[in-house]
Amino acid sequence: MADQPVPIAGPLEVAYPTQGTFLEWLHSWVTTVDHKKIGIMYIVFALFFMMVAGAEAMLIRIQLAIPNNHAISPEMYNELFTMHGTTMVFLVGMPILFGLANYIVPLQIGARDMAFPRLNAFSFWLTAFGGFLLYYSFIGGFGLYGMGNAPDAGWFAYAPLTLRSFSPGHSIDYWAAALILSGFGTLGTAINIIATTLSMRCRGMTLMRMPLFTWLLLVVSALTLVTITPLTAAQVMLLLDRYAGAHFFDAQAGGSPLLWIHFFWVFGHPEVYVLVLPAFAVANEVIPVFSRKAIFGYPAMVAASVGIGFTSLAVWAHHMFTVGMSAAGNSFFVLSTMVVGIFTGIKMFNWLATMWGGSIRFATPMLFCIGFLFQFLIAGLTGIMLAAAPWDWQLHNSYFLIAHFHYVLVGAIVMCIFAAVYYWYPKAMGRRLSETLGKWHFWVFVIGFHMTFDTMHFVGFFGMPRSIYTYEADRGWNTLNMVISIGAFIQAIGVLIFAWNLVHSYFYGEEAGSDPWDAWTLEWATPSPPPVYNFVTEPEVRSRRPLWDIKHPQDPDWKYEP
Amino acid sequence: MSTVPLFTDESWQMPSKGKVAMLSLIIGECGIFGIFLAAFIFYLGHNLSGPTPSILDVPVFNTVCLLSSSLTIWLAERAIEHGEIRKFGALWGLTILLGLEFITGTALEWYTLIYRDGLTISTNLFGTTFYSLVGLHATHVVVGLVGLTTIMIFTLLGKVRQEHAHRVQVFALYWHFVDAVWVVVFTVVYLVGR
Amino acid sequence: MSEQIHLEPKGMVGQHIAMPEPTAWPIVLAFGCTMAVAGLLTSWGIGILGGVLIVAGCVGWFRDVLPHEKHEEVEVLDQPIIITSHRALVERIQVHPRHRAHLPVETYPVVSGIKGGIAGGIAMIIPALIYGWIAHHSIWYPVNLLGGAGVIHWRNPSTADIAAFHWQGLLVALAIHVITCLLVGMLYGAMLPMVPRHPIVLGGILAPLLWTGILHSSMGIINPALDERIAWGWFVISQVTFGITAGIVVSRQERVPTGQSLPFAVRLGIEAPGLMHSRPDVGPPRDGGKH
Repeated sequence: MADQPVPIAGPLEVAYPTQGTFLEWLHSWVTTVDHKKIGIMYIVFALFFMMVAGAEAMLIRIQLAIPNNHAISPEMYNELFTMHGTTMVFLVGMPILFGLANYIVPLQIGARDMAFPRLNAFSFWLTAFGGFLLYYSFIGGFGLYGMGNAPDAGWFAYAPLTLRSFSPGHSIDYWAAALILSGFGTLGTAINIIATTLSMRCRGMTLMRMPLFTWLLLVVSALTLVTITPLTAAQVMLLLDRYAGAHFFDAQAGGSPLLWIHFFWVFGHPEVYVLVLPAFAVANEVIPVFSRKAIFGYPAMVAASVGIGFTSLAVWAHHMFTVGMSAAGNSFFVLSTMVVGIFTGIKMFNWLATMWGGSIRFATPMLFCIGFLFQFLIAGLTGIMLAAAPWDWQLHNSYFLIAHFHYVLVGAIVMCIFAAVYYWYPKAMGRRLSETLGKWHFWVFVIGFHMTFDTMHFVGFFGMPRSIYTYEADRGWNTLNMVISIGAFIQAIGVLIFAWNLVHSYFYGEEAGSDPWDAWTLEWATPSPPPVYNFVTEPEVRSRRPLWDIKHPQDPDWKYEP
Repeated sequence: MSTVPLFTDESWQMPSKGKVAMLSLIIGECGIFGIFLAAFIFYLGHNLSGPTPSILDVPVFNTVCLLSSSLTIWLAERAIEHGEIRKFGALWGLTILLGLEFITGTALEWYTLIYRDGLTISTNLFGTTFYSLVGLHATHVVVGLVGLTTIMIFTLLGKVRQEHAHRVQVFALYWHFVDAVWVVVFTVVYLVGR
Repeated sequence: MSEQIHLEPKGMVGQHIAMPEPTAWPIVLAFGCTMAVAGLLTSWGIGILGGVLIVAGCVGWFRDVLPHEKHEEVEVLDQPIIITSHRALVERIQVHPRHRAHLPVETYPVVSGIKGGIAGGIAMIIPALIYGWIAHHSIWYPVNLLGGAGVIHWRNPSTADIAAFHWQGLLVALAIHVITCLLVGMLYGAMLPMVPRHPIVLGGILAPLLWTGILHSSMGIINPALDERIAWGWFVISQVTFGITAGIVVSRQERVPTGQSLPFAVRLGIEAPGLMHSRPDVGPPRDGGKH
């Protein structure tokens, strides 16, 4: 497959001529409207902030490693866990999913660019500037003593702590303003992805022939439309409270902090699915390719994804069992939450059925996806546990809850992000990532992951609540917390191996050729990296696996697909 | 186009990306309006002090103006589709006038509320939710008016032609949304709330 | 086995493709928005800067796309792509067509179970009333046994109490009876595909025994008073009456084909070469094989 007459000289030289000064190179990136460059910028931005938020997590773990610790100040600790959460959700999870969507979706549907290239650039820069504004608060937040002050009210920023009287200075304003900005960036990209997938498909790419990655990103974008806007609205209300003297969340004037909790989780829970569906999307691409089988139950996968999209809009109050609701409210949200388990169960079994009987190759992307399957299963099961209201009353906001959602966010989403980077890096850079380093990365990270987050379940059972600054030595949490912290550092080593792999392989990696994985979707029918125009002529497809049809003219898929 | 399987149906047509994007935007906007409406309804009757919704006058004339602007913009869309640019300009101008009347009416209503009834956004919960909800809608009207005016200027300069019909229709979708959401806001604030 | 994909740029090399022109206005506008918001947090001067940048960005962007979107011509590079796989061998999962034949090809619809439930519910009243008349000389005895839960003031009622008429007891008993019969009928309909050929065996023997067994083991917990007084022999008789009536009604219903008659892959909606036969109505690509 790699017998190309024209050797690819350097990773980026072919597609993006870089002759000229550094300034010209910078200018070409700043002014670009090319979906591939914007996608790369999104991903680099997200990976950068992943390092930042990871470093914040390390500081948190240093503080919690031993009892009665004072490694960092309590004020700093509050800022760290707030910024860790906010960054990971808004500046890592969302940008990386939109980066992947930007890069892959137009290629997979045989388009030359997104539907609105300029809006695409605008959305990216809005998100990026929002992120920088958020981090500027560390030096510009005007805290109590005129010093910098980052947001410190938790990533969910519950009222009334966020009101003027309890959070003087501008730290909360930075939080709200930066997220409103990046929220509009998100909205723009979501609209763009929807318009692209619905209106830019190449000939023959009917909806039921779209690759599942594209399908899921379409669902995610549609979900984003109704997910990010409530948060924006609630944050506007918060700013009105803080600047214009409104009383939305001001209990002294009759306002209700409870309303904020509702509004936040109306955003917050679908947001989890906005983050996890792209992880499913990656698994949908990687698992079939490395099992050498077509995905099992394509329509069921699509239906389950759409089902998750709709169901996720009606489950938000399972974050609020301990807030207190009527019995009917509790029952409704318990049941609706458990319904999600049905859809994810369908997906789980379809992935397993795809692997069953396949000829599995344990390349790094596949390793991460198998890790994902295992860890997501456990995350789903603890999710069902916490969905039961009585169980939740006992363990809500304990480290059990932290362990559960980190199992989802790290064990499922981050694992799939790694899989995606290993899988598509050759396409974007023209060189493969080192398999050796990749396997080191996988095993080190998985071992660290399980040390940290398996142990967190137990320390949660033993009563350790979230967001505490430190704890007494006689609680029986000491050893467990030390294990958690050591595991966190092992994970950090894994991530550093990954970062080194990214840089090293960029210069010295094995040349990839157009189709290093012997895959089936249209992005592998372009040179690596693809030229600006992606496809010289508009491709046409007849089945879900256009490249399979070409590679196996004797038995193409279109003979069998309904 | 050499070895690609060609299709028996030569008309491979995708939905218009402009319309898809505008509808997506409208769905997103519904999220924002939904939250503000929810806050308004949640706080109905929760005032601790100050004026209550009963001080509101039902803005019937305003509403009629705004809703009929949906009709005129629709007629304008049809006019430009058939290439009748002068008729389009006239109807478009009429739409702007109706929109301007609405926003003026809202301004006068607010003036009365602030100076006669002493109701501001910080007076009580009713003030908070009323001004933010109606203000959110008014902001959308203003944005719409800016867009309408821009297109009007280009029409007067003679730059708008029949082939722009599609873009005009995409923009008109937004104006229809602004009108439609007013029906909801009007019902909640002036009929249910009062 | 290899076929050159249509993307092969031969004949296009050196030609140009129009792509959107790079532009700085989006970043200017985004920066303007950020500054405008940051003005709220810092000082009004920054806000004004943001406002100016927003206006500039909007105007610049506007001029980029109107009256025509600006494009740059990108030269087509000579990068032929060869789409091929060294995995030429395709192995099929072998499944014998009769492999799954033990599932019924046709069965009774679920609705027939509900009809049976209604009929059986009416029929089983008769032995129950006969039992009441014979054992306690009152047709209200079994009614009150069933509906006793609805008569709130009853505490340890005597046999005479139960044998007397109570309208609350009748209402509650009716409600319980109707709902239970419908539910059991529905359950029966749903179970039918498992024993599709013998509805009367299932309805007349298996289901009543199953149902009586469940009740016998659980009634002590649910309703101890009823458990003490229940005559299990008569109980089984009325249950079997229900079952046989329901079975007869069901066996007179039309059978409907199940999904089993469809190919496996169609039922699952999967794309699975080897599990289904290729479709004769789909022809090869119209101009395939030119290469």
